[in-house]
Amino acid sequence: MPVWFWLVPIASVMALGAAYYFFSVMMKESEGTETMARIALHVRNGAIAYLKQQYKVVGIVLASLTALFCVLAYVFHVQNPWVPFAFLTGGLFSGLAGFIGMRTATYASARTANAARHSLNKGLNVAFRSGAVMGLTVVGLGLLDIAIWFFVLTSFYDIEESQQVVVITTTMLTFGMGAAVQSLFARVGGGIFTKAADVGADLVGKIEAGIPEDDPRNPATIADNVGDNVGDVAGMGADLYESYVGVILASAALGAAAYYTSGTDVQLLAVIAPMVIGALGALLSVVGVFFVRTKEGATQKDLLGSLGRGVNGSGVLIAVLSLALLWAMGVPNMWGIWLALVIGLLTGIAIGQAAEYFTSESYKPTKTIASASKTGPATVIIAGIGSGMLSVAVPVIAVVLGTSLAYFFGSGFVYSTDTMNLGLYGIGMAAVGMLSTLGITLATDAYGPIADNAGGNAEMSGLPPEVRQRTDALDSLGNTTAATGKGFAIGSAALTGMALLASYIEEVKIGISHVLERGSDFIFPDGTSLAAGAIDELQSLNLMEMMTYFEVVLINPKVIVSMFTGAMLAFAFSGITMNAVGRAAGQMVDEVRRQFREIPGIMSGETDPDYARCVSISTKAAQREMMMPAILALAAPVIIGLIFGVPGVLGLLIGAMVTGFSLSMFQANSGGAWDNAKKYIEQGNHGGKGSEAHKAAVIGDTVGDPFKDTSGPGLNILVKLMSMESIVIAGVTVAVHLV
Amino acid sequence: MTTHLYLSLIPEALIASMLTPEEFGLYYAIGNAKRSRGQAVFFSVDRDLLPEDAFDLSEVDARCVPHPNGDPKRSLYISIYRVLEKIPRQALSALHLVTDDGRVLTIGPSEHVATEAGSAHLYQEFCPVSPRVVSTLDPAGFTEFITDDSQPIHVPRIVFAELTLGALATDPTTGNAEDLPYPNIGHLRDCLVELGGQDKATKTVLRQMTQEVLFRTVHGGFHVGDPTGITTFALPTLDALEREHFAWWRSAQSTFGQ
Repeated sequence: MPVWFWLVPIASVMALGAAYYFFSVMMKESEGTETMARIALHVRNGAIAYLKQQYKVVGIVLASLTALFCVLAYVFHVQNPWVPFAFLTGGLFSGLAGFIGMRTATYASARTANAARHSLNKGLNVAFRSGAVMGLTVVGLGLLDIAIWFFVLTSFYDIEESQQVVVITTTMLTFGMGAAVQSLFARVGGGIFTKAADVGADLVGKIEAGIPEDDPRNPATIADNVGDNVGDVAGMGADLYESYVGVILASAALGAAAYYTSGTDVQLLAVIAPMVIGALGALLSVVGVFFVRTKEGATQKDLLGSLGRGVNGSGVLIAVLSLALLWAMGVPNMWGIWLALVIGLLTGIAIGQAAEYFTSESYKPTKTIASASKTGPATVIIAGIGSGMLSVAVPVIAVVLGTSLAYFFGSGFVYSTDTMNLGLYGIGMAAVGMLSTLGITLATDAYGPIADNAGGNAEMSGLPPEVRQRTDALDSLGNTTAATGKGFAIGSAALTGMALLASYIEEVKIGISHVLERGSDFIFPDGTSLAAGAIDELQSLNLMEMMTYFEVVLINPKVIVSMFTGAMLAFAFSGITMNAVGRAAGQMVDEVRRQFREIPGIMSGETDPDYARCVSISTKAAQREMMMPAILALAAPVIIGLIFGVPGVLGLLIGAMVTGFSLSMFQANSGGAWDNAKKYIEQGNHGGKGSEAHKAAVIGDTVGDPFKDTSGPGLNILVKLMSMESIVIAGVTVAVHLV
Repeated sequence: MTTHLYLSLIPEALIASMLTPEEFGLYYAIGNAKRSRGQAVFFSVDRDLLPEDAFDLSEVDARCVPHPNGDPKRSLYISIYRVLEKIPRQALSALHLVTDDGRVLTIGPSEHVATEAGSAHLYQEFCPVSPRVVSTLDPAGFTEFITDDSQPIHVPRIVFAELTLGALATDPTTGNAEDLPYPNIGHLRDCLVELGGQDKATKTVLRQMTQEVLFRTVHGGFHVGDPTGITTFALPTLDALEREHFAWWRSAQSTFGQ
């Protein structure tokens, strides 16, 4: 075991230790007045009620799939025997990270509002460091999971030495599917929850009853606050946990394949390099958290600059220190790998900046949508869709340039069959670079709902105007980070998807090796055959040979029809989740109307509404409504794999990834722009609140709600989950398919 | 329980009620079971200052009594149509502005203070008629003009509020109207231009109120005027609204109208 590996568990423990430290410091802060504490308690109880229900359902799904993998591994021997356990830990660690993040966020909101009574800097510190608990927990648990499995498998997995590294890395990759299943429920279920509550609260509370935002008389207001945490803390955390472990493990697997012939020592260095870079990034994220501070009376620009100091500071540090680390480790093609890492970092920044440009009210696209509201809702919708579609160009070009450059840096600027694996490893390392500072990037995401809830708490508690001004400033900053965070999550999902796609072929090789080990010959679709036991010959096949033998060419109908299916799935998934929000919001509307009708004294403030019932309705609706998208995502790779085999699965993944990435970016940016166009009008532009322009913008925002918080981010999960699942069932796909 | 007299402006009516102004405002805005909502503007009326022959109040105390279950009598309509003209300005002791979710702001009468001079004003009349007009006259001048019984078009007494015109007040042709919340800004601009070009004191912009008034657009306050003078019910300052009347101010800013 290379000594550098031990940096991974050490960084993991330090990140978790820092998360615990930030959590305990936050808990020492006061929750403020009795009203503030009471409101926070309602939100906390609602969040716990939601998580309990979600974990119950996820628990059943994880247990069922684990049992299925056990059967495939131990009865049919088409699956690696470690897969069921790796799968389970991935799911459990991801769930644990979400739980810790949610608990922290719901404890932090009132404390942030109370801290804002003292100063803006104190409010920012409490909110941001509480967000950092989520970020550091995700990377800490991710690295811990990776470290434990790498140690266990290298120590106890009895396998021929020449195959060991490849088999171990591809085995570890499967625990990403556990995280993927968890994130499916957290992100998609959470997205349905939050938007059902939000839309329900707005439609009846604001539009029908004329109640302001975050008013305690609105029965759905607590569910709305819970939803902010469910979607943007637990959901985002699980989404990025999956991306984080996914890219590290995929890059490790690609490293093992790329340096297969370079000897075990070099191969091991290539395998642990992504893990060690992740570890370095986790440590630098902790450092970056301390860079974030601001002054009293700070403008939005100042506040953005404060967060930028933390995120960019960590980025610069990792760009510099990773070079030193790669040099010290003696990683092959050090400069190429380092440049790929830097390219990944820059690609992430470019995607985030593009998202900010297309969604922030400071820039032209959102102002244009706001201006379109003067001519009614139809033009608002048209402008938002148009702007969202245009916004796809920059991130796609960034990803195209980033992956191309990373490929060439990885392969040493040689485009040939022999260097293809090296190039793919470069792409994997670019993705690692992008996600290396996830600890602090995710902190800025989780900060958003904390600041949002703090603003709500300050409003509901009637805190003085100077305090509300501070919480408003913190909330507004959170809106910007939410949009850039979504862009970052989608961009990283695209790179993760590509890395997973490349490592899929390595899993296919493992699947074939199971066939060869059972004493059977393996015949490729093109007729080429491998004799029983010819493992070395199999491992020596390069990527292009595998593509040729499996007939993965564009004019192969198996590939084309599967690509169409993948593209269709992205739209079908969006449609199903969007309709799910509509139905769930309808139930919320009925419930809020019922409460106004049947519970006297709500509007006069003499009686509290039944907040828990609204939370319960949203929770149940979310879990019920997400069954269809979950089945769709889980069934598609199995069905296509069983019918068309490996070429079909590759076509499906490519179709879903290419379409899903663009569609997801379009939806997230359209939704974000509609939201901020409305907020821009609420600042007094184009007539301000209550004007005709405002009414039109509210319609745009309501349409955009499921775009940006349910369907858009949900597509990340679809793409990654299908890739992960394809990897896990590669053995089955190789062994059994119809055509 | 005390019986209060309220003069509602939307619609014009004199109502007796056992509810306090806050309770009455909530009830009047959203009804009993949250089946409806709507902005309300009403005055508390000092019964002792009403002329004896103005209304038949003899039955009020007998009819405005609690319900058998002890609930207070919420509303007893005493008179509708031409009510305001029978109530002296001095009898209007407080003005209550109710948002459409039932939050009530109570403001008292004060001496009218002339606002800064501008070439144009936008007035929303509430009672007895409810057009929206632009005028070259300040509130006192407008009151004098509209209540002048020597003119063919006049009312005996009027309640109105000045609404903010922004840059259009001084420059109707090119002034920036981007951020004004009124519908059909082009028409408003035309009316102001026409007003400036003719020997005319007022010009109608809207024949009657078609939607709720955004309280945040009220400039200065509400005015009650008749040939004897003008009383102003001034809105609190922005700082006072933010600090002392925040619940009402939030609702007033959040209204979506109907």
